[in-house]
Amino acid sequence: MTKITTENYVAEARKAIKNEVLQRALADLQNRFGRGTAECYRRLPEGPDLRLRAHEIRMKDIENLDVVLETLAANIRKNGGQVFFAKDGQAAVNYCREVAHKHKVRRVVKGKSMVSEEIGLNDALIDSGIDVSETDLGEYIIQLAAETPSHIIAPAIHKTRYDVGSLFADKLDIPYEDDPPRLTRIARKALREKFLAADMGTSGCNIACAETGHITTVSNEGNIRMSITLPKVHIAIMGMERVTARLEDHDMLLRLLCRGAAAQNMATYVSYIGGPRTAHQADGPQEFHLVVLDNGRSRMLADEEFREMLCCIRCAACLNVCPVYAKIGGHSYGFAYSGPVGAVVTPLLVGINRAKDLCLGETLCGACQDICPVNINLPRMLLALRTKLAEGDTAWGVTAVNRKEKFLFQAWSWIIRNRGLYDVAVKLAAMGQKLLIPKGGMIRRLPPPVHAWTKERDIRPLAAESFISRWKKGIK
Amino acid sequence: MSTANQEEFINRIKMALGRPFAKSPREADLFGSEMCAETRAILERIKNRTAEDRKQLLETLIEAAGPIHLTVRACVDINAVTDAIAEVVLDKDPEWGDKKRVVAWRHPLIESLNLPAALSEQDVPVFFSDLQETDEESLRRRIIDSYIGITSADFCMADTATLVMRTRPGQARAVSLVPAIHIAVIELNRIIADLKELYALLKWDPQESKVGLTNCMTFISGPSKTADIEATMVYGAHGPREVHVFVITAEY
Repeated sequence: MTKITTENYVAEARKAIKNEVLQRALADLQNRFGRGTAECYRRLPEGPDLRLRAHEIRMKDIENLDVVLETLAANIRKNGGQVFFAKDGQAAVNYCREVAHKHKVRRVVKGKSMVSEEIGLNDALIDSGIDVSETDLGEYIIQLAAETPSHIIAPAIHKTRYDVGSLFADKLDIPYEDDPPRLTRIARKALREKFLAADMGTSGCNIACAETGHITTVSNEGNIRMSITLPKVHIAIMGMERVTARLEDHDMLLRLLCRGAAAQNMATYVSYIGGPRTAHQADGPQEFHLVVLDNGRSRMLADEEFREMLCCIRCAACLNVCPVYAKIGGHSYGFAYSGPVGAVVTPLLVGINRAKDLCLGETLCGACQDICPVNINLPRMLLALRTKLAEGDTAWGVTAVNRKEKFLFQAWSWIIRNRGLYDVAVKLAAMGQKLLIPKGGMIRRLPPPVHAWTKERDIRPLAAESFISRWKKGIK
Repeated sequence: MSTANQEEFINRIKMALGRPFAKSPREADLFGSEMCAETRAILERIKNRTAEDRKQLLETLIEAAGPIHLTVRACVDINAVTDAIAEVVLDKDPEWGDKKRVVAWRHPLIESLNLPAALSEQDVPVFFSDLQETDEESLRRRIIDSYIGITSADFCMADTATLVMRTRPGQARAVSLVPAIHIAVIELNRIIADLKELYALLKWDPQESKVGLTNCMTFISGPSKTADIEATMVYGAHGPREVHVFVITAEY
């Protein structure tokens, strides 16, 4: 299974903030893609409000997911494809291994897919003695470096051209080179050999279409097309929510996906795959398998507070505008999904307590919702997660994390509901603060139990006299 | 594979949606099985397109092609296309190896170009991706060894400069993918406006919906590209480095 390191959030974030190369790369990424996407939405004939319609359509599909998925499976089977429903990551991985075993697969080429990161497909196949090659250039770099992706769409954003140059020189045994076009050509050559030699290809699915019985893959590089065209077996893995009922809804969703993911009107390649090749077709896989994955998604579906999260099409637009992601990068999130989407999805998938820092770390500024192509209310769900962490929740098995905080807020709530008590408290505080020797008008350090507030910032002192008492004296 | 698995899976979803035993909502509504007024209007618009409208679409296509490094050229007739292809073959060198070879779809329009004869002057062989001529393994080899792949397309969406190709016998998918240069030849009437028109045709047009999406429908918008190293855009990642679309304007 894939490694989960959400516990290291704070430590990793600290490291990332000190990494100047990463900071520059992240700033550059957000400047280009964050702004580019917003500009793309403005230029839509329907305007940015198209996102609201897309949200409605996604919700309708999610709320009928049973019918939609059964229709998809039936149509794919009708075209000769095989569909497997996997309860969890282990079941999905086992199925892929069985298929590989049945075909005596030795080499796998992999199209980029976050869901395969989620279930740890690579490691599982490698453990079975299979050679697995990532084929997206960014993922390929990450695989050579034995790291994990730091961005859903731009996995190697934390690497400079010099890093990539040294890496290629070392791993591919070639002279050092640091010009991006030439580095790309080197990878093109190395991976072409992999594509031609592979006997199985895997991919994710961006958004399936139930009524026609097709999955879709979207890419700019062409690596996914290569992976699913040349080898004799194709396995696609999709999260169970990545499907629409109607073909016409792909108009809106594809347009929004491409704009959200890369500020493009259309990705270079979109493939609709509905089954294996037919008798007289010259190429394409002889077998097509679709693995539909639950792995905790039905739990999100059951909770109306989080059901909306299943609208997500994993475009990563929210990463490109998030002020927190901009500073701490993708690795801090400790799981396949980073940024605001990760801050909500990861706790729901791996355990809210285990990944608590992810949702506590976000700012609730709302930029993620504004840029989301399907207008998911991420801030609302971040707050809902925080509520569970503050108060505990049996349904999700959450234990309350900070009893002191809860006690303080209860005390505060009691004080502000008692006029007299409040006035006394404010007066006492105004007097007491003199002991804190405010420098330059600001208090630098508060005493326990509220000392954490001033750990990273100053606080303005209270006015010597409250507004109410000045009002009563008749201020002008 | 076990359907018990599926039943359990779908039941979990039903439970989550809070309707374990209730009948699911009307499927007709969910799948939009009635043609709506908007779709009817789209189909009417496509049907009634004038020569002037088509020229306009070609203009839109050329405009959209520029930023994505796609070359679109209008050719007056078949002969002009053949000449244009011969020109590309003359100009461009193979990416892998020295020998120039071309692979093409078995397709009426492509066959009418008479490429084997036209390119024999340059001593460049032309293969067709047709299993009736050769076995699978040697066909695969031929595609890999070709530096130019020539196809037609079912549609071309002007709005995003996107070729739409379905899969048929004799028309290998790899022809538009594995060779370094991809040339697509289409007639002017294959140009449609956008995704809305495409999906309306695929779902509602009697002829097009009969063909359906086939088991592999591909959209191609320009040459393959990547920006994975320091966000620098590079053309020619894994797919073709160049894509040319030749549009035959003859009868219009």
